[in-house]
Amino acid sequence: MLGLTIREVSLALREGRISPTELCRKCLNRIKKTQHLNAYITVTEELALKQAREAETRLLQGAPKGPLDGIPFAVKDNFCTENIKTTCASRMLKDYHPPYNATVVQKLFDQGAVLMGKTNMDEFAMGAGSTDGAFGPVRNPWSYAAPYREQTGAAADSDWVVTGGSSGGSAAAVAALTSFLSLGSDTGGSTRNPGALCGVVALKPTYGLLSRHGLIPLVNSMDVPGIMTRSVSDAAIVLDILQGLDIRDSTTIPAPASSLTELPEGFDVKNICVGIPKEYHAPGLSEETLAQWSRIVDMFEKAGARVEQVSLPHTQHSIVCYHVLCHAEVASNMARFDGLEYGHRSAVDSSTEAMYASTRHEGFNDVVRGRILSGNYFLLKQNYEHYFIKAQKVRRLIADDFKRVFNSGVDVLLTPTTLADAACYSEFTQEDNRTRSAQEDVFTQPVNMAGLPAVSVPTALSRRGLPIGLQLIGPALHDKKLLSVAHWIEQRVGFPSICEYGDSGETRNDTGMTKREQTSAV
Amino acid sequence: MCSFCNHTSTCEGFNSLIVPYKLAPQQLVGVVGLEIHAQINSNTKLFSGSSVRFSAPPNSLVSFFDASLPGTLPVLNKRCVEAAVMTGLALNCSINRKSLFDRKHYFYADLPSGYQITQQRQPIAVDGTLTYSLLGGKKRSQVIRKTVNIKQIQLEQDSGKSLHDDLRSQTLIDLNRAGVGLMELVMEPDMSCGEEAAAAVRELQLILQALGTCQGNMSEGQMRVDANVSVHKPGEPLGIRAEVKNINSVRCLARAIDYEIQRQIEVLQRGQTVQNETRAYDSKSGETIPMRDKEGLQDYRFMPEPNLPPLIVYEDNASLPTGIDARQAVVVQKIREGLPELPGVKRDRLVQTYGILPEHSFTLVNEDGLVEYFEAVLKVTKKEPRKVIGWVTNELLGHLKEKDMSVSHSPISPSALAELLELQETGHISSSAAKQVFQEMWRSPGKPASQIIQEQDLGLVSDAARLHSICQKVVDSHPNEVHAIRNGNKKVLNKLMGLVQKETKGRADPVLVMAILQEKTS
Amino acid sequence: MSVISIAAKRGLSLKIIRPWCNLLTNSASSTRVTCLWSSTKPAHVPADLVDKLERLALVDFRTKQGLACLEKAIRFADQLHVVDTSGVEPMDSVLEDRALNLRGDAVVEGDCAEELLQLSKNTVEEYFVAPPGNIPLPTREERTAMLKHSEF
Repeated sequence: MLGLTIREVSLALREGRISPTELCRKCLNRIKKTQHLNAYITVTEELALKQAREAETRLLQGAPKGPLDGIPFAVKDNFCTENIKTTCASRMLKDYHPPYNATVVQKLFDQGAVLMGKTNMDEFAMGAGSTDGAFGPVRNPWSYAAPYREQTGAAADSDWVVTGGSSGGSAAAVAALTSFLSLGSDTGGSTRNPGALCGVVALKPTYGLLSRHGLIPLVNSMDVPGIMTRSVSDAAIVLDILQGLDIRDSTTIPAPASSLTELPEGFDVKNICVGIPKEYHAPGLSEETLAQWSRIVDMFEKAGARVEQVSLPHTQHSIVCYHVLCHAEVASNMARFDGLEYGHRSAVDSSTEAMYASTRHEGFNDVVRGRILSGNYFLLKQNYEHYFIKAQKVRRLIADDFKRVFNSGVDVLLTPTTLADAACYSEFTQEDNRTRSAQEDVFTQPVNMAGLPAVSVPTALSRRGLPIGLQLIGPALHDKKLLSVAHWIEQRVGFPSICEYGDSGETRNDTGMTKREQTSAV
Repeated sequence: MCSFCNHTSTCEGFNSLIVPYKLAPQQLVGVVGLEIHAQINSNTKLFSGSSVRFSAPPNSLVSFFDASLPGTLPVLNKRCVEAAVMTGLALNCSINRKSLFDRKHYFYADLPSGYQITQQRQPIAVDGTLTYSLLGGKKRSQVIRKTVNIKQIQLEQDSGKSLHDDLRSQTLIDLNRAGVGLMELVMEPDMSCGEEAAAAVRELQLILQALGTCQGNMSEGQMRVDANVSVHKPGEPLGIRAEVKNINSVRCLARAIDYEIQRQIEVLQRGQTVQNETRAYDSKSGETIPMRDKEGLQDYRFMPEPNLPPLIVYEDNASLPTGIDARQAVVVQKIREGLPELPGVKRDRLVQTYGILPEHSFTLVNEDGLVEYFEAVLKVTKKEPRKVIGWVTNELLGHLKEKDMSVSHSPISPSALAELLELQETGHISSSAAKQVFQEMWRSPGKPASQIIQEQDLGLVSDAARLHSICQKVVDSHPNEVHAIRNGNKKVLNKLMGLVQKETKGRADPVLVMAILQEKTS
Repeated sequence: MSVISIAAKRGLSLKIIRPWCNLLTNSASSTRVTCLWSSTKPAHVPADLVDKLERLALVDFRTKQGLACLEKAIRFADQLHVVDTSGVEPMDSVLEDRALNLRGDAVVEGDCAEELLQLSKNTVEEYFVAPPGNIPLPTREERTAMLKHSEF
């Protein structure tokens, strides 16, 4: 039951095969069983049961609010949830209870969805592994599935792999079947990266389509709320609900008029042109990921799609550009954390500045502090033109690269999402956070700079038994078309469900439905 | 002669200081520029929907955004944009069709987010002029017109308030004012002394009050003025400037500037150099004192505000994009057409319409409500405006100033004054009697002139027969004087006049008496 | 139809469609990538600038490693300058062509002093409380000592 898609379980709820409270309890139990993953910072058990009971009442009256009524979901801990601890995995906010809900969270509540908890992440979303948070690292659920365990031989506990980041907790929550959907945030790949490494569908919508009101920002000009689900059509359902103008966020844009609520079943790829950016064959790309990339190219060509090599010439400079702009915005966004109005406050009180300095010293980890310092360096008057403005110019070149390609008749771009499958924690932590981020974000961050929609779709398990995902990138506001293409791929790749491997035995009994998931049509 | 600005007038600067000169100090002149922060008169703040009010319980007018809660975003108030455009038009500025917002970073307890949102790169209005007048000449009755260039007008946030509690060694923070909209006006260093700056600021206050965009009360902090002061020899490059802050009234402004000019002259005379520093004006001592100097260490690290796309205003209805919501559009032409009568125009109109002198017009417009009072009197009396004006600008205003009262609290209403003037005009009382009645009316508010005249028997005696008989009596009892008059000494007539007036207690119509006496002594 | 024949059909050389086969940098599937950027000599940040940054950011470098991190970040950023950006306008945001939304002037929020004050650790009546202001940050040595005692 837990391995179902939203669509499937929603039907089950409406048909009375399971009740919202039963479903909620199953998920809560699953969370307890998968506690070792450390995917959740806060589990909102009481609230979840209350919301489930309310959903149940509505269902009994035959008046569900919509496709998400009664559906358990999880939210990354950088989205504000009213009176529920929101920490951003930082000591700075370890006891912070926002007095309001983020718009996207409120929308899910308004649809009757049931909140399971707040998920773990890299501190303030800075990182690509979900290993640098104040509450410990998140473990990839596939570390405990048979394929990987058979591979490593040794106890998975000592050789577990990372989820990727920074929305690792959200990805793990969905991948481990503790919720049917989760929200992450995506600034440079933070939703797509863990999505790929954990084998879930991860959508980064067009910038401005989803409101950022209540999303504690990393880089305001690039952040978007990300959607993680176990199927592409689920992601489409959620996108429909969450998109739209929000007067509280001046960077939101109206949703495109022609919004298909249902993804077309018989989508014909003969009508589309798939671009393969040659620069995305980057140093360090694993052979297996490369093989998956070729595999999907073949699939498209065999089905009659036009496949073309294209060039995004400034790709190699994208990561440096991102680095400068990201650090500068971080330096600015973190300036509000001073202990005076909210959050952690140091006991030092000799002067306001001393209190601020020690609060920030105590509250932020090294990664955050390092970025604040370098960001401030780039913003200094003497450096502004040389670094910040220069990076802004390069950003335009990168965005123009995409524009040019999409204007030349290409409908979607197909690229890898990550360089390889998930790394062992012990190996991952050998490099410092910034180095890692620079490496891991290579394929994902140019998309954020251009504000385009992108989705990662899991395609296969690697030799090590870990998920590999591929990324589709589309032109701005063509999110639905993008998802249609992703759906087409999903239907054909046969990516296995984690249920098939089971790790606690319990889920094996529920695998009756899983095969259906892969053909998706319900 | 004012030593700072070469005015042939009784400039305040000249009057307030005793200056020991050594080297030819007349060669050094002051150069004054101003930075004015005017609080926008709006219901809500610049970027949030919390209320703007002068006094309220601490932190009761603060929204989540004002308190810089993470995840909150700025949303621009249309009224503030209109206010800035209106002000810009009134000051002959070019309105920038597109203007941008930036972040200015610094830490202070009353700045919760660690940065202020302002318009550093491209403000809403630039390149304007302010025309102001001084009363100069020997009797301060000559109206001298001057202009100062307005460099720009930019929209920005106000900060909160800190109250220093030295007893408990802490600072209390009230964020009610944090986020209130400000217009920062920069006046170029076209002024040369305190009096000019004060006159310019006074004119600006009148303009803003006429527009309704700012209430302009300096003591309440609705308008704050900082002065940039330097000295130099005319023709030579500008000297190093110091910034003077903490000025709470127009009067203090003049004094502070003149003190600073003098201080800088003395510094140079001693062979030292003027520091580029910030100084605070101390109204008790009349001096400027250096403030904590952060010049070398300060770097505001300006950065574009990523949460606010460009602000666009439209020239006219024709240039509105199709499909735009009218509530969203600020149309410059419409605002231009709706501008109220500005003080300068008003003054000219009053001179034209009523034939009064420019300096009277100046006084009328300078005093809140006086024009309305004057015009109300004219409505009810047939007396010529030129004859009414003196009563309003001398008698009435004199009394008000003495008691430090505003026009709206005048115990004598316009209609009451009009009645008095009518009685004088029609010969019921003499001019001097009228003045007496005025005093009495002031002391007994509401008592009509006619009543006072009756009670105090101040009515002018014009009964020809009666006057004839009194004159005859006087003539008969002063044969020597009559003889002198007959012999050519006409001045003695005045003595006889005096005697007649004594007899009539000053109520005789002097014109008639004189005629009768002349007749009787011819 | 194989990719190769499609390519031939279109007159495209195989190399273009499938460059990666020939360009694999390494064969081991679990090889991790090394630094994408070459580690040239680190930029030198003078001591007074270090102090200034710490004061402006109110964040400390804490260790020599922290400073080394900054220097590496600067060197990394320097790579930007190989890109030719002549005639290119800086880009603030992807929404640069949109006009800013405007809000009506009606009071819709505020009046929540209690809610806000309870988020703070130090309040007095209805005020937030800060330590005395206008006191400059102590020197670097003193700061290091102060922060040492305030480890979490």
